[in-house]
Amino acid sequence: MEHQNNDTYLAKWLAGEMSENELQNFKNSDTYADYKFLVDVVDNLETPDYNQQKSYSATLDKITKQQDKPVTKVRALIPNWAYAAAASVVLFFGYTFFFQETTYNSELAEQISFELPDGSEVLLNAGSEIAFNKFNWDNNRSLDLTGEAYFKVQKGSKFTVTTKEGSVTVLGTQFTVNSRNNFYNVKCFEGKVKVTSDKLNHILTSGKAISIQNHIATPYTIIESSPSWTAQESSFNNVAISQVVTELERQYNITISGKENLQAAYFSGRFSHNNLQLALITIFDTMEIPYTFDANSNVRIQKY
Amino acid sequence: MPDHIKSVCEQRVFEEVFNTHSKTIRNFIYYKCGDSAQAEDLTQDAFVKLWNNCAKVPFEKAKSYLYTLANNAFLNEVAHKKVILKHQKSVTTMVSHENPEFVYREKEFKGELDRAIANLTPKQREVFLLNRIENKKYKEIAEMLAISVKAVEKRMHGALVSLRSEIKEFKK
Repeated sequence: MEHQNNDTYLAKWLAGEMSENELQNFKNSDTYADYKFLVDVVDNLETPDYNQQKSYSATLDKITKQQDKPVTKVRALIPNWAYAAAASVVLFFGYTFFFQETTYNSELAEQISFELPDGSEVLLNAGSEIAFNKFNWDNNRSLDLTGEAYFKVQKGSKFTVTTKEGSVTVLGTQFTVNSRNNFYNVKCFEGKVKVTSDKLNHILTSGKAISIQNHIATPYTIIESSPSWTAQESSFNNVAISQVVTELERQYNITISGKENLQAAYFSGRFSHNNLQLALITIFDTMEIPYTFDANSNVRIQKY
Repeated sequence: MPDHIKSVCEQRVFEEVFNTHSKTIRNFIYYKCGDSAQAEDLTQDAFVKLWNNCAKVPFEKAKSYLYTLANNAFLNEVAHKKVILKHQKSVTTMVSHENPEFVYREKEFKGELDRAIANLTPKQREVFLLNRIENKKYKEIAEMLAISVKAVEKRMHGALVSLRSEIKEFKK
């Protein structure tokens, strides 16, 4: 039987809303088998896979990412005064951070190396100190040195090392500055260095050095390509013996007694940082200074 | 909810709404556009809008709000692809005789069915698949689409008639 006048009977059939009589008629019709088969197949179809959890987190992502401000109560979480407070804290620490000097100290018998903000390298010899300001370093490369240090300066603005005895301005690259009591020694290994002390203005070129002791400047030539102390040695060129002895004390962290017995003399040569006995022989034996050296590493200079 | 009104603004409630409706909404859009990635995208957008307006949408209205949004979002999209559904399990389970010829016919039939579904009008297709695959009652579909139950029934009927006429197998 056909249902030509009824445009919803198939819907009724699917919903199980047909009357007993209607259903019987439909089952007897020649289209029933087709529809039955069709619906059986369709009812077993599936939609593409759906990952609900993934979709949920994607939705949350979209919510967090949206730029136009949604309605939410999140807004008032941080009150305005908190921003002011935070800013003050930042200003306070920023101030201390920016304007505080950075200081590097090497202990006795210790050499330390570090990099400056522009990548320039500094090797600090024993018992020395360097202070500088990180803030605006690139435009104001200047540092204060007490003691001895080796610098490998990166290209850039003027690089100045200030010491008690005077200042060194770098025009080129590698040099050492040694500034101890009444002793001022600058060696230039590469490039050009300008040395200023009292009334003196001296430009050192590569391989040149200058030593100022008691206001007397002595320029000389060096042959090494980097300072000897960076290679576990201290070298001297006509340096007062008292300076040599204090350097020895610094490098080995010892106290040498009987220094008052030393007579004015100048030492040229080098001593090792690794063998005290050998160092004593190189300095005192060559200078014919009598000394004692006992098992406890006590060194005493005798009267001569 | 005796003394507490459920608010979609609470994430727990929002997640519950999502878990209850997101799959159907996604499929609802899929039946329209045939692109599952696009369907998921539009579904997520609908939920984002629900979240943004959570204070204005009461929990009970969330569902119809979502369907309206999804439907509107779809109307704005141009891309339409062919809706392809997967066989959940072999048709063979319904027929006791399994032979190579039948398997071949089944494959052929599946191809024809896909084409026939694609050729339904969008209105017939969404109603028909919501009912057959999402198991939504006519009344629910009518609410979702804001049409009468009678209209749903007509579309269901029309869909079946159209499917049958599209499949050659039945013309023999």
